[in-house]
Formats: sequence, C-alpha cells, structure tokens
Amino acid sequence: MESNKKYWKGLEEYNNTPDFVKNNKNEFAEPLPIEDVLNEAGLSTVTPRRDFLKALGFGLGAVTLAACQSAPVHKSIPYLVKPEEVTPGIPNYYTSSFNGQSILVKTREGRPIKIEPNPNAGEFNCGTDARAQASVLDLYDVSKLKAPVLKNEETTWAKIDSFVKSELAKAQTGGKKIRLVASTVNSPSTNAVIAQFIAKYPAAKLVQYDAVSYTGIIQANQNSFGKAVLPKYNFDKADLIVSFGADFLGTWISGEEFTAQYTANRNYKSLENKKMSRHIQFESGMSLTGTNADTRVPVKLSEEGPALIALYNAITGQTLPGGALPNNGTADKVIKLAAKELVQNKGKALVVCGSNDVSTQILVNAINAAIGSYGTTIDLDNPCYLYAGNDAEFNGLVAEMGRGEVGAVLFLNSNPVYDTIDGKKFADVLAKVPAKISFADRADETASLCDAIAINHNYLESWGDANAYEGYYSIVQPTINPVFNSRQAEESLLTWADAPVKDYYQFVRSNWETKMLPALGLKWNDVLEKGVVKVAAKPAAAYSFSLSLAAVATSIVNSSKALAKGGDQVELQVYENIPMRDGKNANNAFLQELPDPVSKVTWDNYVALAPKFAEKLKVKEFDVVTVKGGNGYSIDLPVLIQPGQAQGTASIALGYGREKVGKAGNGVGKNAFPFISFVNGTMQYATNVTITPTGGYYELAQTQTHHSFEGRNVIREATFKEYLKNPAAGTGKSEEGHKNYDLWDKYEQPGNSWVMAIDLNACTGCGSCIVACNVENNIPVVGRDEVRRRREMHWIRIDRYYSYETPTGDVTREKEIAKLEDLDHVSVVHQPMLCQHCDHAPCETVCPVLATVHSSDGLNHMAYNRCVGTRYCANNCPYKVRRFNWFNYWNDSRFDNYLNNEFTQLVLNPDVTTRSRGVMEKCSMCIQRIQGGKLKAKIEKRPLKDGDIKMACQEACSANAIIFGDANDPNSEVSKALRSERIYYVLEEINVKPGIGYMTKIRNTDTTVQA
Amino acid sequence: MSGHNESILREPLITGDNITYAKITDDILGPVENKPNKAWWIGFIFASLGALLWVVAVSYTFWNGIGSWGLNKTVGWAWDITGFVWWVGIGHAGTLISAVLLLFRQNWRNSINRSAEAMTIFAVICAATYVVSHMGRPWLAYWVLPLPNQFGSLWVNFNSPLVWDMFAISTYFSVSLLFWYTGLLPDIATIRDRAVGTRRKIYSIFSFGWSGSVKTWQRFEAVSLILAGISTPLVLSVHTIVSMDFATSVIPGWHTTIFPPYFVAGAIFSGFAMVLTLLLVARKVLGLENYITMFHIESMNKIIILTGSIVGVAYLTEFFIAWYSGSEYEQYAFINRSTGPYWWSYWMMMTCNVISPQLLWFKKIRLSIKATWILSIVVNVGMWFERFVIIVTSLHRDYIPSSWAMFYPTWVDVSVFVGSIGLFFTLFLLFLRVLPSIAIAEVKLLLKSASEQAKLKQIKEGHENKEYVAEYIESLEKFDSVKQEEYAKI
Repeated sequence: MESNKKYWKGLEEYNNTPDFVKNNKNEFAEPLPIEDVLNEAGLSTVTPRRDFLKALGFGLGAVTLAACQSAPVHKSIPYLVKPEEVTPGIPNYYTSSFNGQSILVKTREGRPIKIEPNPNAGEFNCGTDARAQASVLDLYDVSKLKAPVLKNEETTWAKIDSFVKSELAKAQTGGKKIRLVASTVNSPSTNAVIAQFIAKYPAAKLVQYDAVSYTGIIQANQNSFGKAVLPKYNFDKADLIVSFGADFLGTWISGEEFTAQYTANRNYKSLENKKMSRHIQFESGMSLTGTNADTRVPVKLSEEGPALIALYNAITGQTLPGGALPNNGTADKVIKLAAKELVQNKGKALVVCGSNDVSTQILVNAINAAIGSYGTTIDLDNPCYLYAGNDAEFNGLVAEMGRGEVGAVLFLNSNPVYDTIDGKKFADVLAKVPAKISFADRADETASLCDAIAINHNYLESWGDANAYEGYYSIVQPTINPVFNSRQAEESLLTWADAPVKDYYQFVRSNWETKMLPALGLKWNDVLEKGVVKVAAKPAAAYSFSLSLAAVATSIVNSSKALAKGGDQVELQVYENIPMRDGKNANNAFLQELPDPVSKVTWDNYVALAPKFAEKLKVKEFDVVTVKGGNGYSIDLPVLIQPGQAQGTASIALGYGREKVGKAGNGVGKNAFPFISFVNGTMQYATNVTITPTGGYYELAQTQTHHSFEGRNVIREATFKEYLKNPAAGTGKSEEGHKNYDLWDKYEQPGNSWVMAIDLNACTGCGSCIVACNVENNIPVVGRDEVRRRREMHWIRIDRYYSYETPTGDVTREKEIAKLEDLDHVSVVHQPMLCQHCDHAPCETVCPVLATVHSSDGLNHMAYNRCVGTRYCANNCPYKVRRFNWFNYWNDSRFDNYLNNEFTQLVLNPDVTTRSRGVMEKCSMCIQRIQGGKLKAKIEKRPLKDGDIKMACQEACSANAIIFGDANDPNSEVSKALRSERIYYVLEEINVKPGIGYMTKIRNTDTTVQA
Repeated sequence: MSGHNESILREPLITGDNITYAKITDDILGPVENKPNKAWWIGFIFASLGALLWVVAVSYTFWNGIGSWGLNKTVGWAWDITGFVWWVGIGHAGTLISAVLLLFRQNWRNSINRSAEAMTIFAVICAATYVVSHMGRPWLAYWVLPLPNQFGSLWVNFNSPLVWDMFAISTYFSVSLLFWYTGLLPDIATIRDRAVGTRRKIYSIFSFGWSGSVKTWQRFEAVSLILAGISTPLVLSVHTIVSMDFATSVIPGWHTTIFPPYFVAGAIFSGFAMVLTLLLVARKVLGLENYITMFHIESMNKIIILTGSIVGVAYLTEFFIAWYSGSEYEQYAFINRSTGPYWWSYWMMMTCNVISPQLLWFKKIRLSIKATWILSIVVNVGMWFERFVIIVTSLHRDYIPSSWAMFYPTWVDVSVFVGSIGLFFTLFLLFLRVLPSIAIAEVKLLLKSASEQAKLKQIKEGHENKEYVAEYIESLEKFDSVKQEEYAKI
C-alpha cells in the first residue's frame, strides 16, 4: 500500500489547475520556441544563452543523425508475386538464334545478360562470333526509339496502323508498286508473313539485298549447275584449302562455322593423329584468314582473276588466255605448286574465292569440279540460306523508285541510305516514294527519311525462327518483355495485311506445328527447349562442270585490265572487318572497342597500305590521305601501314562512318560503301582510287603498337615437318632437362587446381573471346582517346606478331626488319594473352596491402575492395595483363558511350562487381563461374565433373583453342592437353610458374610436291 | 686556449676579421630578426606560385583520378615515382652531413648542416606527397600501415618493398626531424633571448626551456651523438630500401643487385648538388660568405666528383652485367635504354651525371661559384633523368613486345613535379625567415680554433713553421671572403 503513495511535483499538480492539465499532455510544459527560432525573425534576433544552447544541442544532434547515413540506400524489393521460373540469383537459359546461329540466352531476374552457343546445335554449335556476344548490349541501347514515330513525332500504334494501311491501300489501288526491302530473310515464319502481306497487297514484292553481297556465287552456281544457291562448304573435309581473297575464317559467309571446321584439321587433337591440313591464301589486304594461312601470297586485286586462270590452266592442262602473272613471280610459282597439290589431294581439296564477280566464281566452280570438290568439300544439295540478296534486283528497285513507280516502300532490317553503293542517290529517289515505312529500332540514315518508323523489337524480345542451312532450323524466342513501346515487324505486317492471326507468337507456333513438327514427331516445347531442329541432310551429289570458259575468261581478263589502270590509280579493296562487319551494329561500344584482329585498331577505319607502297606514295603511318574514287566520292582517312598488303593496293573497311546510329557509333570512321561499283550485274568490292596526302595527322587507337616478337620465347613455333619428326619441336624442351630452384616452399594443393591450355594452332585470333569476357565480367569500354593512351581494359587480349620470311629464315626483330627490302611475305601468329595465374605470381609479393593473393585452387585473386592502387603489381607483371581503372569508367560523363545510364547498366552481370576508380583488375578465371559450378555440384550432391565449368572465353571460341579445367584431375581434358609435347609456358625461364600452357604454333609450310 | 691551437695547415672554416661571438649571432640571425629583403620576396612569390600549382595539380588528380596523368597499362609509374625517388635522394645529403660527418669529426659540416637538414626534411615531405598522390585511392593510403583494424584483421604484406618503403621513409622523416630539432634548441634559445613580446613567447615555447647550463650542453652533446649514431645507418638504409622497390621485381632493368649501393651513391650525389644549389644563393643573399667559405664549396664539390664517379661506374657495370648475364631480356633492356625511343633521356643522364661532374677535377671550375652552381643544377637534372630512365625505359619495353608502349606526360604530371619544387622552396624560404640557417652554436665552437683570425693570430705569434705558414697563406688564395692584402705583408 506504501507504493500507492502519490508524490506531486508542485502546487499546480496538487491543485490540478486547468492550465496544468492542458500543459501536462505535452512533453515539455512550455511549448518550445522552435518556430520562432527557425523563422527569419528568430534567426536574426540576438540569441539568448539558453537558445544558443538549444540550437547547439539541436545542431549537434541533427548533424550526428545526418552523418549516420553513410551511403545512399538502394532498396531491393522482393517479388510480391514471384514468377514461377525466376529465382533471384539463379540464371535461366533460353534458346534463341542470332543471324541463324543457335544460341542460349542467359537471363538473370528477367534480364538477358549473356549469349552462349547452343550445345544442342550439334555440328552447328560453333561458338559465337563477336557480334553475337556483343548483341546483348544492343538490347539496352539508349539510342533506340522508345515509341513508334510518324512524321518525326512519337505516336501510337493505332495511328501508325491507320496511316500505313491507308498509304498501302492508296498505292495498291493507284497501281503503284509496294516494295519490302530487306536484308536476306531466311526465317520460314517471316517468309510466311511476307507471303500473307503480298497476298493482301499484290503490288508488293520482297527485294532482298545484302550490304555485302554473295550474288556472284549464287549466280555462278545457277550458271554452272543450274542451282542458284550459296553452297555449304565443308572445310573439315579439305586437306588442302586454297583461298583467293575469301576471308572464310572471319567475315565470309559463316566464319564461326568455317573456323570450327578448319581448326578440326589443325588443332592439337588432329596433330596428335599426325594430321594437319594445308592452307594457301592469295589476297591483297591482310585478312584474318590470311594471317592463319600456311602460305600467304599477296596478289593485287587485278591479279586475282589471272591467278585463278593460271590455276585452272595448271590443273586441267588447258590454255585459257590471260593466265599470266608477269609482275608477281611468287604468286606464279605458288600457283603452279598449289595446282600440283590440288591434283594430288583430289576430293580432299577446296578452292574458295571471295569475289562477287559471276565469271570469277564460274571459273572457281570449274576448278572445284576439276579437283572433285563437289559432293565432298562443297555441298550444293544442302545449301546455305544466310545470304540470298540479289544485286541486280536492288538496282532495279532504285530505278523503279527513280521513275516514281513505287507507291510505298518498307525497310525491314535494312538501311540502304547507308549501306549501299550510292546512298545519296537512294535518298534522292526515296523522296519520290509517297509512303516510306521503316522497321528500324532507331532513326537511322534510312528511317530518318521515312514517314513512319514502326520500331521493331530487338531480337531478344522477339519470336521467330531461322533457316540458316537446308534442313537446319532454329528458333528465336523472347527473353524479356519489350522494354520500349515497340512491336515486332512481322506483327506489324500481319496487322497491315489484316491477317486472321496477328499475334506473332501464335503465328510462329502454328507455322511450326502445321508445317514442320508433325513430320518430325516433335512438340513445340521440344523445339523451344532444344532451340534447333534438324532434318536429315540430303546426300551431297558430285557435280561436273561442262561449260565453255572462253567467255568467262575474257570477262575476267577485261575486269582485271579495268582494275590495273596503273599511273596514280590505286587498286582499292573495301571489305568487312571482324568488329564492325557491315556497320549494322555500329552503336555497340563492345564492338567498336574490339580491336581489329589484324591491325589492332579500334574505333576507326583507315587506309591500309603496304610499307613499301606507302613510301612510294610518300605517306607515313597516321598521315591523313584523301581517297577519291572514280565516281567522285572521296573521304579523308588516316593511313595504316599493313605488312602483307599487296603492293599497289589499299584496303578500307566497310561499316564505319555511320551518322545516325547513336551515341557510340556516330561519326566513327568514314563510310566506304560508295566505293562499291556495279559491274557485270553484281556489286564489286574492288575499284580504282587516287590517294593524295592532305598533310593532316590522325593517330589511330591501337591496342598493340609493337608488331614483332623480337625473337623471344614468348612465341614458339615449328613447321609441320619438324613436328612430325619431333612433336616437341620448337618448345625449347631439351633432352637432359633443366634444374629449377625455387625461393619458395612447395605447398600441397589438394582439391582443384585451375589451369588452362591454349592451342596456338587452333586460335585464329578472331577476338570473340574478348567480347565474351567483356560481357561476362562487366569490363568497361573506355573509348578511343583512352585506347590511344594505351588504357583499354580488356582482360584477355590477342597478341598478334608479324615476322618476315626470308630465304635465311624468319626475321622477327625490329631492327633487322627495318633493314629488309621484301616486306611482303609476312607470317603472323596470334596469341591469346590473359592473366597466367602464376603459382609464383610476381604481382602478389609486391602488393603492400595483400589485395592480390593466391587461392588454394591455384588462382591469383584480386580483392578490389582492398586495393589502394599503387600499380606495382601491374608494373611487376611480366605478361602485362593487369588493368587499372584510371577513371570511374562506368559512371563518368566523359566516357559516355557505354554504361553511363541506368538502362544500359541492366546489361551488367550481377555476379561480378563493377570496379571503382583507382583499383586494379584482371582476369579472374571467371571465378563466378567456378564458384557457380562448384555450388551446383554441391547442391546436386556429386563431385565436380570435368567440363562442368567453362570460361566465358572458352565457350565463345569457335576453334576450341582454349581448354580450361582441373590440373589435379589427370583425366580432365586440360590435363591431357597439358601433357601434349607441344606445350610450353610463356616466360617459363623467369620461373613464375604460369598456369596457362600454350601449344606451339605449327605451320604446314613444307610441301610434299617439289616445285 | 693557446694549447688548443689547430694545425696551421688546416684551412680556416670561418673567415673575416673582427668576428666575435656577438657578430656571429648578429650575422646569422639577420634574416630571422629583420624584415625580408627584396630577393627573398621575389623568391617566395615564385616558390609559392609553384606550391599553388602543386595544390591545383594534386587536387585535380584527386578529383578526377590517376587517369589525368599520362600513365598507361604498360607504364604504371613514371613522373610520380621518378619524383619520389629524386626527392628522397636529395634528402640524403642532409643526413650524411649532419650524422656521418659529425661522427667523423668533420668540423666543416658545422656551417652547412642546419640548412642541409632542413632541406632533407622538406625533400622527404615532397617525396611523401608522391607516395600518397600516386595511389589510385589515396584516401585509403593508411592501409599500408600495419594498424590494428576492423576489416577482419587485415594485415599488410611484409614481403612488399612498398611496405618496407613506408617504414623506411617514416623512420627517416622522424629521425631527421628529431635530429634537426635537437640541434636547433640552443639557437632557438638564442633567438628567444634576443626577442621581445609575442616572438619571445613563441620561441620560448619552442626552445623547450633551454638554459645554457653546462649540464644542458653536456646532454645536448650526448643526444647529438646518439642521434648521429641512429641516423648514420639510415643514410644507407633508406635509399637501399627505395632501390628495392625496383631491385626485388622481375622487370629487366629493375631486377639488379647493384641497386642499393648505386642508389645510395646517387642519393648523396644529388643531395650535395642540392645543398650547393641552395647555399650558394643563400650565402650571397644572406651575406654568409664568412661562414660558408670556398673551402666548404670545394669540399662538397669533391664529394660530388666521388659519388658521381661511383654512379658512373654503376652505369657501366649494369651494362657489363646485362651482357654477361646472357639474358636476352636484360640485354635488350639496356640496349633499348641507350638506343631505343628514350635514348635522349639516357644520354641526358650520362652527360649530366657522369661526364659533366668530371669537370670538377679542374680546380678552377671547382672554385668557381658560377660553374659550381650550374653544375649543381645539371647534376640534379641528370639525377632526375636517371630515375626516369630506370623507371620508364625499363617498363615501357619489358617482356612481352605486344604490350610495349610509350609514356607521354600530361600537364598534370608536369605540374605535380614543378609544383613539388615550388613547395620545397616555399618551405625552405619560410625556414630561412624563422630559424637560423646556420647552426650558431656549432659555428661559434669553431671561432677560437678554426677561424681565419685565430690562425692569423697564431701566425703573428710566430711559433709556426714558416713553410707551413706559406702553404697556409697559399691555400687562402681561393677564398673570396679573405682580404689577401693582410697576408701580403707577412
């Protein structure tokens, strides 16, 4: 009861006055004069002592509270209703196709973030090229339109539909033509859509053209064998390949597939069976394929035709006129040798030619028929549908438009104002067309001149299919909901055609379910799961060639004479390079920063000239020259000195000089499409130009500026003959061995030991691994200026070295090269270089803060958060593979071509952190993949299997040149590969114990035929 | 005191007549107790503009990132570490003069040690700024210290030469500062005793209550000796460790066992050159010709010839070893130094460091103040190039030819370096204004025995060997601060 005693604090409480009762409700008996203090008058009054203390107390408290928030809070909100198939942190894979190539799309939390080749594709599973790897960035391109555009204003789909329908109806009823201009369409469903569209508008016609055309081959096959097709080439069945200017490992038809086929006869497995194909390349510009050839002979563009005639004559013993090569003794000699070898390898040989001239290709057909290629190395019965453009048809379209016969034109996946022979003329005639509709995803050169832009989905948002080869179908399925207000082009066409089924998904599905699946006994879901459907291939028949070649030879000789004008006329070749190809993806920063595999130039095109020829023209490297074509078109470009370029020729890459593609690609390089000429019914990529110096200087951004390996052991090579005698030839391994002494104690390494083997004979240097690594590891794109400062961030690079063949052996040293007269005969080697994960890593000992340390499974770790950025590790790395974040590349407005907006940041791989400025980074051996693989095995309660974990670079590689695995497992593929006699370690002699073994480069230069 | 007469053969360390203890104090404290003259102001304006440039350039770097320098994927260090090693090297003369020469009882050091030590401290400050500013994330610079922490008890890498460096530089700085300050105590007390008002209060605090009693002096001497003992190994160790930043690496041109002695010799070489650069001007401007005499200048020039020649031999040895090693990378690194794209920097180094100091064999040049001053600058230019050659030409073409690159400095690189020189001179000029540039107490020690007037008195007393006297008088000819006519009479 004592506790009930009540104490009162004052008389007010005791008396319980109304005032007290009122005030007692508040925390403070008297109201705090906060308002007074904080309003303007309060702030200007003389602060009494108590107010000062209050303000001080408040200020201190407020500052303390404010200071507690250390960083902006990014809230991650859990799914309210979790989609069934999405588990945060677990990727989903969907099959799809890119340019006819079957792929797997990796998505994380609904975002596509990586492209992988589809392992279900069987023989068509050939890795992915750089474009496919980079394509994921195009989805997140901020330069795309966000809504359809009508007369330069954003609009709704309803308005677009009513506009287009009325225009189409007007054209149809007005007796005008309707033209659907597209680059090759090989999708069965799209073709069915177009058929429906044409059924509705009978005035409509599909005009297919390709920026880089293969009409020549198609028409030659029509002429020679009555089959207007692009054949399927089987490089894997060829023991001898002779190529005339065909960059078949790079840009010619289907580089990845040919790479896989080609390397199958040259990689370590093939060499272990003592088998290696031989490859002879005649070309003017140095192509990726040329760099891989066993024998490469530079020939002028005008000599290509005569060389083929000479080869034909030498093989068949006939005497077609014009087969003389008076100015190229080497080519003449090698042609005779090649002819003998081709005859010897009858049925196992292949001759390809990159020309788009019908006559030239007819002659090539004759040669191939003579060496028994048809039915073995060339398959005309299961043709390739990747390119079906018709040059003459396109020219016809321009004429029709010029005459005002076309009432409506639609552009599907095509941009003729930019990528055709005369874009300016095309723009002019386009103005005469009343209704112009583009399906582009951005207001590109053509679309910006159109009335309506019915923006198409990105392929990662689309349904569809592809039919790259006869009997080989692949599916395209969306991996994300459309980001912007776009609509699939096919759906637009169906809508405008008033088709019964407008939903394109339903359309594709029913198309497959009615036309294809029943015969194969498959279900729709099987197709979605596997991604590909293969119908048994038809037997490849042998074809014989029986036409007269007299007219063909005359035509070839005339074209050759037209090119060989002499005087100040330089023979110019315009070509596709690996990163940019035809320029459709010019806004892709990953591709712009991918160095050209041969010149190592990024972010620009250039005029490639041979060293001696440049001297003759009195120009030096990076001098700006004016290149002027016969049609009056001229551009100013810097010169690049390209060893191996044929004398008297120049090469300029297509795909540059885009003006309306977006932030990253606008104004990069100059447009070379107008140098194309239309001769004998096809587009010709060789022409005559004059080259005059402007006196300007423009430094190209190259990732490699020293081009010879100085005789160092970095590159070890041998000839095939030497290899057959001694498989360890060239590796520097001696019989008695060499005793090594270590400064460090040896540690037991139980568990895994992750290592790599790289086959220099398989690597073609294409660079798709670089892009794959960029995408996988969130590697910043730094832009042209930073590359010029030698600051590109690529974790894997491909070193390319030139050495010069002389009668006394190869010359590899800079100072000796400077003395050479003959710089035409270059041999090239490509070496992928990445962190070697040295067991005695020199970087690890010098880091003051232990930011780079060794793991128990043999990896060299990099702890970004611990790095203070002294850069000592990079200095001390003998391989120079460490990359420093000089700036905050992913969040700095000066580097506005990549990640500087939240939308594009969606492409980031959430398993890999982005690195801040001032931090070192380097190849982590895709540690996120290693951990992911281990985790998966653990969840499945099984030991890790060889092949469970694949590196991003390895997966992308078409040539399977990179083998990754556990060295502690003697049966792993990598262990087997590392036991190869060809293995050597780069800079073995400094005893850093690198974890990546390289296999010697073997060149099949010895010929079995005596010349 | 006559029993303690110094040999007449020794050249005087203080010249001039009527030098008294009071006059020494007045002479030396002149700049401290009076308003600065025009020369000082001009120097200070230039120096502080330089320091401002340094602030701008370093702030720019901190704000934008190390990318504002000209470094690249191949050359990760260039002007930054060149500047760092250059400054550390310059600091070395101070320690050598104050510690080693003290232990060897070289009394001539008494007039120059104060300024030399001040120079050491300011040079090490300049070097330390580079240590921080070259880091990618300078705000985390303290991570290289083995501090207890809550990052999961992360520790530093004791294998890393950069950690050794951090220890070496911080030890060096603290010991040098301590030594310098201890030496300053009696002089600060002198200023205190002569000052009034606030100045007196300030100097009173900084004099640590120096009373000048015999016991104080005795302890002072003892501490000086102990500190000299501690400092002496530092003369060798600091630059040895700095050289290990390179020597322990695998990069050809860096991976060399000759580096420690070669770097130490180079450091003393450049340090003495810098002492000469500074004191030749200070001597004139502050009117200290009687205390810093031609004898001092000649002695320092002799050290420069010696260390310059050691450095020259080291350069040649490197070449020989590169050839003798049979290692192609090593051989290439050295051929590339002398004939590669940076050949000019190599020959700049050879000319400035090896060839031009040999001119000092000529007595005329050795005794010419102008020539000495120019050569002292040439030596420091050469020593800057030496570090540039070692760092940049070794890195820019190392093992893998594909990565070979060139280094081009940006305006920020240049400004940080030029600015650091400004910073150095700003600090030095401020030092001249607030502290005695010559150790007053130590110079006074020499007055009775080693001054010109003491010797003249000795001669006049007539007890000296005539031959020796003649030799002594002859040696005085080189002095610009001696009235030669006095001796003509004898």
